[in-house]
Amino acid sequence: MGQFTVTDLVRTMRAAAGEDDSIDLDGDILDLEFDELGYDSLAMMETASAVEREFGVELPEEDTAELTTPRAFVDFVNVRLAAAAR
Amino acid sequence: MPKVALLFPGQGAQYPRMAAGLYEHYEPFTAIMDRAFESLGRAGDGLRAAWLSDGPTEPFDDVTHAQPLLYAIDYALGSLMLSWGAEPVALLGHSVGEMAAATLAGVFGFPDGMRLMRDRVEQFANTPVGGMLAVAASAADVEPHLIGQVAVAAVNAPRQILVAGPRRELAEVERTLREKRFTCKAVRARQGFHSPVVDAAAARSVDAWRSVGLSRPRRRVYSSQLGAVLPPHLAVDPLFWARQPAVTVWFWEALGLMLDEHEELILVEAGPGQGLSAIARRHPAVRSGQSRVVPLLPARPGPPQADREAVRRAAAQIGAAG
Repeated sequence: MGQFTVTDLVRTMRAAAGEDDSIDLDGDILDLEFDELGYDSLAMMETASAVEREFGVELPEEDTAELTTPRAFVDFVNVRLAAAAR
Repeated sequence: MPKVALLFPGQGAQYPRMAAGLYEHYEPFTAIMDRAFESLGRAGDGLRAAWLSDGPTEPFDDVTHAQPLLYAIDYALGSLMLSWGAEPVALLGHSVGEMAAATLAGVFGFPDGMRLMRDRVEQFANTPVGGMLAVAASAADVEPHLIGQVAVAAVNAPRQILVAGPRRELAEVERTLREKRFTCKAVRARQGFHSPVVDAAAARSVDAWRSVGLSRPRRRVYSSQLGAVLPPHLAVDPLFWARQPAVTVWFWEALGLMLDEHEELILVEAGPGQGLSAIARRHPAVRSGQSRVVPLLPARPGPPQADREAVRRAAAQIGAAG
């Protein structure tokens, strides 16, 4: 279990897009594509920079652009956090 | 058939070979694209070549290429849907996509639409070079940082807008926004559509619009220029249409109204990419499962068979016999 969880990701995504949290964006979304969740490249860039600020981690845009699912995104952030902690 | 609404994307959605995998595979689509190129005379041959080219084609994002192609492809995809027996209860276009919506509503015919495109290319090609920028923010967040002729070009979602303007001023605004830690992304455009940079060109297009016979819409059009249903008296007003490429696109407002007015909708994005689908998927009415989204084409450029697979998948989801 990494420091960054899917709950953190969902919270950040919603804030990034200005989404109302009255409706759940939960269920098993880990392996859905960001496209299917309605998160386009601008929304994901905004999400990534919010994660960078909150978690003090650097997420290069050329890497995050390749991450297409929440699982891949969460794993990537945890790898970067672990690398930064070493 | 379930209730279908069609969404037509506009400037920024274009890319070389968009929807080209359908060309010569789907009859109504192919026939309409051929009519579009024929209507442009010799320029049409060049446009077809640029569309089907594998290599990068320099002015693809320019008004000369992007606008007539987007209009024709949006309309051809909408017509493909009709050929499957879909009877859309609502039409909504973003930017030049609003012209495709109007054509499918019978406000003007496709040949007239192509004549208007030809005029648009002429009037807009010499506007000052400009651009468009997507910003992850609300209009109110960004407005204090706008200068000169840079304006809010579109309100696409609560925290997703477009700004547009002349190139140098837009670059300055982008610098400021990035310094203030706004997330920005360039939009593929060589003109500052939906900003005052194109006011004069829009005014020059009034004559072309006056020469076209305009009819009351036969289908319900949600106008993104108005953020409301297009009323008959504006549908037949040449000035309304002439100014459309120069004023703000209220996409989110029009989308919200459309979803409020219909209990369950299948929103079909009839155009390149999935930009409008992404926005619609974040709307509470879609998030809650009340309405759903079916894009006709892949989210990003791919091989020709990907276009056909996407259309087949969409047809299955809609329940049509495509």
